[in-house]
Amino acid sequence: MIQISHLRKEYASVTPLKDISVEIKKGEVISIIGPSGTGKSTLLRCINLLETPTGGEIVIDGETITDKKCKIHLVRRKMGMVFQGFHLFSHMTIIENIMAGPVDLLHKPRQEAYERGMELLRMVGLADKALAFADELSGGQKQRAAIARTLSMEPEIILFDEPTSALDPTMVGEVLAVIRTLAGQGLTMLIVTHEMKFARDVSTRIFYMDQGEIYEDGTPEQIFEHPRRERTRQFIRRLKVFTASINSRDFDFIGMNSQIEEYGRRHLIPQKIIYHFQEIFEELCVQILLPVLPEEVSIQLTAAYSQEESCIQLRVRYNGSAFDPADCDNPTALALVKYASKKLEYLGYSAEDGMNTVVLTIEE
Amino acid sequence: MDISKNQTDKSLDIALAGRLDTTTAPKLEAELKQSIGDNTELNLDFAKLEYISSAGLRVLLAAQKVMNRQGKMVIRNVNDVISEVFEVTGFSDILTIE
Repeated sequence: MIQISHLRKEYASVTPLKDISVEIKKGEVISIIGPSGTGKSTLLRCINLLETPTGGEIVIDGETITDKKCKIHLVRRKMGMVFQGFHLFSHMTIIENIMAGPVDLLHKPRQEAYERGMELLRMVGLADKALAFADELSGGQKQRAAIARTLSMEPEIILFDEPTSALDPTMVGEVLAVIRTLAGQGLTMLIVTHEMKFARDVSTRIFYMDQGEIYEDGTPEQIFEHPRRERTRQFIRRLKVFTASINSRDFDFIGMNSQIEEYGRRHLIPQKIIYHFQEIFEELCVQILLPVLPEEVSIQLTAAYSQEESCIQLRVRYNGSAFDPADCDNPTALALVKYASKKLEYLGYSAEDGMNTVVLTIEE
Repeated sequence: MDISKNQTDKSLDIALAGRLDTTTAPKLEAELKQSIGDNTELNLDFAKLEYISSAGLRVLLAAQKVMNRQGKMVIRNVNDVISEVFEVTGFSDILTIE
């Protein structure tokens, strides 16, 4: 349905989209997630040409919309967009807002547009607000009305650009509930969102965008449960990430322990997990690794805490030659590392960067 | 880590508070070296000890070896976490924990 190849968008000072190539099939519900400023909204706005791409091609139902000869208004008719800021006409009632498009652009009879409009308002739970003006509605109601208006144009594709970001937290749920209902109706939907649970529940596919590209593309299960790439992993763990490195034998041991404690406090990590983290840090890094590593020591720790699974995934990388901690001659320290971690796995040595990698899972 | 001691006759009582780890174990080691002397009884009170690492265990093992030759060493008031550490490392079989 939508084929995007080598899409690029650059401004004088930034390049929000570097090189996007992806195919979207009819009926897919795709959530686009990722850190702020990584091109998510720009991608949506390029798909309906609210932004003119700098390079690449977008083909929708066989029509190359990036071609200058393309009649974009016909292509846009297939697409609806729901914005962060609702964009309702404030001098019109809600039902008038919804009827305007079908009557003026699709040339539908007023009665038919009214009936369909009321049907849509019932669907979004706002039938009793049909005669209210936009400013009389709450943020959540406005956004639901804006969704009804988008639907009144009978789009095949709906682009949602952070539909709940401008809302009071208490109103996010009602809007998500409406989008959730739509997701089951065969429409093709692209949703830029920061609501991770929602993205996970309603989507058939997730794009994780980072630094102007679709960094990882997969099912919600893959992206949220088993992300393959590092930055996706860190993002999914909701930035509950701890990184530290040891570059000297005289490093600040007490400071490091305080940092681990602080990390636990900040993210409300159970005390037992933090205790085990400190044990692993001391036994693995200080007791087992430091004595065998070269003088120019380099140990890197990356921990990511998942609240849902209540565990820390810890990755320890260190220099020197290939060394599996299980082969160390400090059985007491090794016993404590094993005790403090549910899983301990030596992933091996990379000749490329000269680093060993060990991954551990820490649970309560 | 704080160390407080009490010497009576040939018996030495030492109470530890805080963390017995890589940085603090040498302090206990030095204290024991200095104070053990010819005591026949060494009592360690762990009521206020929160954490112990393998570095701490090594010091305890060394002290146990000395006391095996000249008397006995007993560890008291061990909390659950430290008790587990003694279990998984096999130290509960070597030390006398009451």
